[in-house]
Amino acid sequence: MLRPSLNSKQIHVGQTLPESAQTYTEADLVAYGAATWDWHRLHYDQAYAQSKNLPGLLIDGQVFGAVFAREAMNWAGPRAFIQSMKLKMKSMAFARDHLVAKGMVNSLDESTGVCVVHLKQEIFCENRLVADALTAIRIAEL
Amino acid sequence: MDLLTPELLALIGKEAYYPAREPLSEASIRYFSLALRDDNPLYLDEAYAREAGYNGLIAQPTLVCETCQYAHAAPDADGYIGHEWHLNVPGCRMIRAGNDYTFMRPVLASDRISVKWTLESMVEKPASRGGTQLFVQSVATYIDQAHEIVAINTETLVFQPLVSHA
Repeated sequence: MLRPSLNSKQIHVGQTLPESAQTYTEADLVAYGAATWDWHRLHYDQAYAQSKNLPGLLIDGQVFGAVFAREAMNWAGPRAFIQSMKLKMKSMAFARDHLVAKGMVNSLDESTGVCVVHLKQEIFCENRLVADALTAIRIAEL
Repeated sequence: MDLLTPELLALIGKEAYYPAREPLSEASIRYFSLALRDDNPLYLDEAYAREAGYNGLIAQPTLVCETCQYAHAAPDADGYIGHEWHLNVPGCRMIRAGNDYTFMRPVLASDRISVKWTLESMVEKPASRGGTQLFVQSVATYIDQAHEIVAINTETLVFQPLVSHA
């Protein structure tokens, strides 16, 4: 059965999205690389990563965009549509880091006749910001 | 300022095109769901996706911009098969600074997505830890079987001089 989607009456500025947390294992990095046909050695070859002056296996920055999209879609429901995302990397994260994704409604725009919600999303490793995004998501109509 | 050479500047405007070799596919979408630990049925259950109003199983929003499925080449020395300009920036490592995604419509498992890359700009800027770093901006345009654009990805990479962490 179809899960209900949020509508504009159920959303307000400052509303928070549920947090999600994950410790990224080496297996997670390999799984993401394989799923995206990306076999770059930075993500599984420790000696190679060290040769690039990195302290560990690097988490591919694009995974954070996928996490932001996952959280936005799971929050807004199946009839929502992500129109855009401005993803910025703020610091590097590595295998075995425990990352927490957060999100909040920044603004709502109904000027075009449909409701577009602008989310501010962030991923932290403890108190360090790893990545953020401004995500515009079109909400299901009433 | 010595990273941005005349040879690099001459590459601005260069394009590369990768025609789709097959549909994105339900398998690629399910694999991505497993890797992301995402059990949203929009990506796993075609009947559910149709009930939500789509014409079939859809892909996760950013998958089309993240996958190198368009590529068909042996891995390079770094193990990578996706698009690269193979810029010669000696003594630097390359890291991702950000991606600006624009999505026109949900991508279906049945879509055949071709990709066009364009090298838009290169700018050398001072680095916070001294010296300079080179910002390279490229645009990937994702095009379906009807020659319609389904997504645009403006990607910024930065070449940073390697420094010791001693």
